[in-house]
Amino acid sequence: MSVVSTFVESFKESLLLKTIATIVVLGGLITVVIVFIDNFLIRALGTALIIGVLGGVIGVFVLLKGMVFLGEAIAHSAFAGAALGILLGIDPLITIIAFGLIASMGVGYVNEKKIMKSEVIIGIVFTSFMALAILFIGLMPFYSTDVRSILFGNIFLVSIENLIILFFVAVSVLLIILGIKKELYFIAFNQEMAAIIGIPVRFLNYLFLALMAITIDISLKAVGAILVFAMIITPAAAAYQWTFKLKKMLILGSLFGVASGFLGVAFSYLWDLPSGSTIVGVATLIFIVSFAFSPKRRKSGTGHVVADCDYCSKTILGKQYCLEESCLAKGIPHKHDEKGLLIYKTDLDRKKTPTRHEHDIGGEEK
Amino acid sequence: MSSKAIQDVVICLKDVNVVYGNLAALYEVNVDIYKGDFLGICGPNGSGKTTLLKTIMGLLKPLTGQVALFGNKVEDKIPKETKFKFGYVPQISDIDRNFPALVKDVVEMGRYAKAGIGKSLTKEDKQKALDALKLVEMDHMLERPIGHLSGGQQQRVLIAQALAAEAEVLLLDEFTSALDFKMTEEVMELLDYLNHTHGITVVTVGHNLGLLRAYCSRIICIDKIIAYDGTPKDPELDVVINQIFH
Ligand SMILES: Nc1ncnc2c1ncn2[C@@H]1O[C@H](COP(=O)(O)OP(=O)(O)OP(=O)(O)O)[C@@H](O)[C@H]1O
Ligand SMILES: [Mg+2]
Repeated sequence: MSVVSTFVESFKESLLLKTIATIVVLGGLITVVIVFIDNFLIRALGTALIIGVLGGVIGVFVLLKGMVFLGEAIAHSAFAGAALGILLGIDPLITIIAFGLIASMGVGYVNEKKIMKSEVIIGIVFTSFMALAILFIGLMPFYSTDVRSILFGNIFLVSIENLIILFFVAVSVLLIILGIKKELYFIAFNQEMAAIIGIPVRFLNYLFLALMAITIDISLKAVGAILVFAMIITPAAAAYQWTFKLKKMLILGSLFGVASGFLGVAFSYLWDLPSGSTIVGVATLIFIVSFAFSPKRRKSGTGHVVADCDYCSKTILGKQYCLEESCLAKGIPHKHDEKGLLIYKTDLDRKKTPTRHEHDIGGEEK
Repeated sequence: MSSKAIQDVVICLKDVNVVYGNLAALYEVNVDIYKGDFLGICGPNGSGKTTLLKTIMGLLKPLTGQVALFGNKVEDKIPKETKFKFGYVPQISDIDRNFPALVKDVVEMGRYAKAGIGKSLTKEDKQKALDALKLVEMDHMLERPIGHLSGGQQQRVLIAQALAAEAEVLLLDEFTSALDFKMTEEVMELLDYLNHTHGITVVTVGHNLGLLRAYCSRIICIDKIIAYDGTPKDPELDVVINQIFH
């Protein structure tokens, strides 16, 4: 028995690494396959896989650090970069990354110095980059279809070169993120406490901004400037509904991301719909389902509240209402399950008259 | 306090002035905090208590004056590692109820800096975190989400985090504001215990003067300047309190 549980424990310990490793290897294989069997559908799936994992993992930290609007601003600044690239006739990826980095570092700096509220500066950056984008498009001698493809994205137009760059950049970003994940986690929990304990908060914050900008930038071609941020926030937000553990959240986030990508590609292919919409549509559906069934959201209105019992969390496998003096839920009808959770049930008569308290293990009968 | 030697000074503020824009928050502050002090800081709202703590921890840079830590001479540049002997429990703990962290995760954060970037915690790190949690009597809640704890329990966990980081000085900013009076006393008892048996220096900011007088070995009243610095028993303290609170 103990051997089994030890095994399960150690498997759990490295589950994250295993998942990531599997995905990376799969991605590599797929890239190789794609190079040989050059098929647009396979390329699209490979892209979906990479963006799904990367977006899911980055998104978890974006969500926990409360940087959602900043990500949106980066996506739009990247669009301006793309427009400039097209205007100048150079590879848009260079200008995209340049603009994304400028926007994220600028906002990061203003936030750090607390010069103004971050929403304000983000709003200004966001709109001024859009203005630039419109200016660049206006300066083009003819309307380029490339602009449309950057704005709306098309995962079926991802070329082999795009995909190979995407793969290597994504793997590097992922490795760095996983390397600093515990520090990012602490900073998200409480930045000041992290700084005092000796975490290089400033450096890591800027590094994270850069990684986030790069993630958005390299995903732009596939999902489009308008929708790219959904690949970061939506799977992570769905994962957030399910767990109180960072590792699980990272795993779920990337799984949801990949699932959205795959299904989105499939629907887009089968029914000839815009791929950006189908991918984000699936992600949104996953989020809605997660939100509706989230164990964090079970309130008395919809049935019952899940909470923990102070007194009984360890010692009791109780079945009936608890009247223990030190029980948090004393006087409120509730039950204990094996995990020590207690579930408040709305009393049918709204009468709060619990009568019995049973201790199955290690407790005294009351 | 009179017999304390120079090397027992853990924190030394010399002629410290801190400003926000053109508002002076601390004016010509001189304070020596000794190893083993149980120091209570009180003063009206906006008197600079939080500012004082943040200046000590290096989160704020004084406009003029020096902060010397752990026996380094005021003139010296503060070595990096001395900074990290602090444990800080902030004034408002607005922990998101659904933040994905269990009690043990939060305490283990105290070991992150020691483990270093890119490395995961060793068994020893985890054991130290567990020991710290035992010290604050929260080890039975190991697997509970931090957001599901009451305010007082969260404070205990944050204290445990500081202990896991092997903090020698605990700085608490108005932790009592979120706690009922029973929990407040419990946490004070815990601080008293850590102070006496583990030799941890405690600096606590509070509005409840009666409570500070009951537990602290030394009280500082602040109102941009240091208005009082001495024992809790001194009748002078009442005079100062009446003055600064009008
Ligand atoms: N970030 C800031 N920017 C500008 N002024 C500030 C800032 N923080 C504090 N102040 C000002 O500095 C003064 C001291 O603030 P501080 O937070 O240190 O007071 P405090 O004694 O902790 O008050 P409280 O009892 O309300 O916690 C106040 O007048 C406050 O308005
Ligand atoms: Mg304060």
